Amino acid sequence: MAFGTYKEVVSARATDKAIQKVAQDGGIVTALLTYALEENIIEGAVVAGNTEDAWKPEPTIAMTADEIIAAAGTKYTFSPNLLAFKTAVRQYGIEKLGTVGTPCQVQGIRKMQSYPFATRFLADKISLLIGIFCMENFPRASLQTFIEGKLDSQFDLTEKMDIGKGKFWIETPEGTKGLALKETHGYEQAGCNICQDYVAELADVSTGSVGSPDGWSTVFSRTDAGADIFTAAVEAGVIETKAMDDVKPGLGLLEKLENGKKSKGKDECARRAEMGLPTPW
Amino acid sequence: MSDRKVISPTSRQEGHAELVMEIDDEGIVTKGRYFSITPVRGLEKMVTGKAPETAPVLCQRICGVCPVPHTLASVEAMDDSLGIEIPRAAELMRELIISASNLNSHAIHHFLIATDFVPDELFKTAVNSVETIRKNAQYVVDMCAGEGIHPSDIRIGGVANNLSELARRKLYARLSALVPVVDNHIELICNLVADGALVKDVDGTLLSDEREVIPKGLGAIDAPVFASDRIYGKRDFFDLDRFTEIVPEAWYDDPEIGKRCCTSVPLYDGLAVETGPRARADAFFNYKEKGVVAQHVARAREMRMYLSRAIAILDELDTSAATLADFDPRGTGKLGIGVIEAPRGTDIHMAQVKDGKTQFYSALVPTTWNIPTMGPATEGFHYKWGAHVIRAYDPCLSCATHVMVVDDEDKVS
Ligand SMILES: Cc1cc2nc3c(=O)[nH]c(=O)nc-3n(C[C@H](O)[C@H](O)[C@H](O)COP(=O)(O)OP(=O)(O)OC[C@H]3O[C@@H](n4cnc5c(N)ncnc54)[C@H](O)[C@@H]3O)c2cc1C
Ligand code: SF4
Repeated sequence: MAFGTYKEVVSARATDKAIQKVAQDGGIVTALLTYALEENIIEGAVVAGNTEDAWKPEPTIAMTADEIIAAAGTKYTFSPNLLAFKTAVRQYGIEKLGTVGTPCQVQGIRKMQSYPFATRFLADKISLLIGIFCMENFPRASLQTFIEGKLDSQFDLTEKMDIGKGKFWIETPEGTKGLALKETHGYEQAGCNICQDYVAELADVSTGSVGSPDGWSTVFSRTDAGADIFTAAVEAGVIETKAMDDVKPGLGLLEKLENGKKSKGKDECARRAEMGLPTPW
Repeated sequence: MSDRKVISPTSRQEGHAELVMEIDDEGIVTKGRYFSITPVRGLEKMVTGKAPETAPVLCQRICGVCPVPHTLASVEAMDDSLGIEIPRAAELMRELIISASNLNSHAIHHFLIATDFVPDELFKTAVNSVETIRKNAQYVVDMCAGEGIHPSDIRIGGVANNLSELARRKLYARLSALVPVVDNHIELICNLVADGALVKDVDGTLLSDEREVIPKGLGAIDAPVFASDRIYGKRDFFDLDRFTEIVPEAWYDDPEIGKRCCTSVPLYDGLAVETGPRARADAFFNYKEKGVVAQHVARAREMRMYLSRAIAILDELDTSAATLADFDPRGTGKLGIGVIEAPRGTDIHMAQVKDGKTQFYSALVPTTWNIPTMGPATEGFHYKWGAHVIRAYDPCLSCATHVMVVDDEDKVS
């Protein structure tokens, strides 16, 4: 089945204008985490927070809605969110933890929950796991290369980055610039080339832009916990939805991209196996 | 005619030890010898020559029951050697950690003695009570020290992190709710100990189905008490000049035991001492009862003191304050001393750092002090009580067994 196990898929966006303004797409991640926090479904969340250095995210423990909102937006580079889990459940005293991660991070978290070695009293405290779609991720230096070397723009002044419609986009004070995606090939982290999970199949809820119109997100409710929270957020008016069939470009594109990622990932695994290299799949 | 009764290994304690009792015709112990047969592991040697930060990480592995006190004693010794003054919030966090850890450890001991004292109809109550206390106490250690076992966040210079306000409030609420549980628990334990224990022969055969009241004076010994503080531990208490350590061959008047014993015998002012909960109660609260019952009572009562102190600290702790001091890890070669009051007594670590490396390390741990005291404490009573005497002192042999330097040429035996 395409897209892994899920109960429902819809197109959705946060109704709060403040979230819409700072979010990458429909603001689903931020809206769900803040809603869960306000409803005491979670007591805090680990998010990819901004630091003093431009585009150098850091796993950040957010205990308030403001802190969650401050971390909105995609950073196309690594934020090893799992690193902060222990501090979150220990010194921060969070017993119901929410978090967001790329599919590989979600896999790591699920694995940790299945085999909680060295994560005593931690793995059981994750109450909400939101996955974001992901085609690939880049070292920070790669981003700097695209922006300074290829787009002739200033890295520090970049306000937003996005990938869509075949291009890597940046928003700067001087306007929007796009770089053909093929120009970014080879700059991604090597592990992404064997990755076969596009839509965070193991998350409670997974979301991404592909499939929905600008400013909206495609959302899969997967687990009971995920579906409950998502439904409650919709009923509370925090999130508005549309049927996938009513939006463009729809699930067809998402499926095409997912299949592409899976087959490329499999091919690369086979290529590496032929060279005698170890692969996880 | 004299006979020998041997319990090997003595049971329901951490590590392995042997109790050899010489008895008269009536079965009364005329000579008791208790000694460790837990093999030496030599952690002090492993940390020598390494960066000072290695010591607390390795030395907490001395024991799975008391990783927290050993880590604290280790960082205290390092702080002293490196001349570090830790921030006030770190002092409070460390004291909070030891209070919770000792509360947990005393509750564990009640598991160990449960089959002696707890009748079937109360077993579930007792186990639930121990479990509730342990769960909450270990939660405090988890939060403040990073891990309940092998704490990652007790550091040279303080502790890695302060608590968040949420964590502080949670712990405060949970420990406050624990007060009646601990009060009831203490009452339960003290009553059960007063009611008496099941007694067994040295091979484990039950001698009677009825519990027997613990004889007055059982386990009492006339040794000086060794205790540095009510709760945390005081560095100034320990005077190295008053300390001597002798080889077991010279202490046990049985060459075979001397040879098999795995620990040296520490003396203070030339005497074997008593350390642990009763010793602390004696030194700081003028509690003069002695022996098995007194050990159990003092240990149970300490639980309330630890809990009250933990709650008071949580009330006082400024969660925005720094908890880690900056320090220069190079060191001057000063001999640093760390003294912690562990559940089973005074835990002393000594460390010397120079040129950024640990030059010397030594741990004088609680049960080592009590080993020469516990054997004689079995004397004068029927041997069937021997195991009860030992358990009342709650020995923990895994930490008691250490490398010792027997001459100046660095020969290790
Ligand atoms: C490397 C990367 C590649 C992606 N590729 C695709 C793609 O091919 N197709 C697609 O549809 N969507 C992709 N996304 C997801 C997309 O960019 C949005 O993050 C997603 O739609 C959520 O938007 P939102 O408005 O709901 O989230 P927001 O409300 O803006 O919140 C985003 C949340 O994600 C967290 N976050 C940001 N960056 C990271 C990171 N690097 N690691 C972990 N957490 C992070 C933030 O802390 C924030 O909490 C990708 C995301 C990343 C990080
Ligand atoms: S492509 Fe796969 S491996 Fe790479 S960041 Fe995304 S989820 Fe992780």
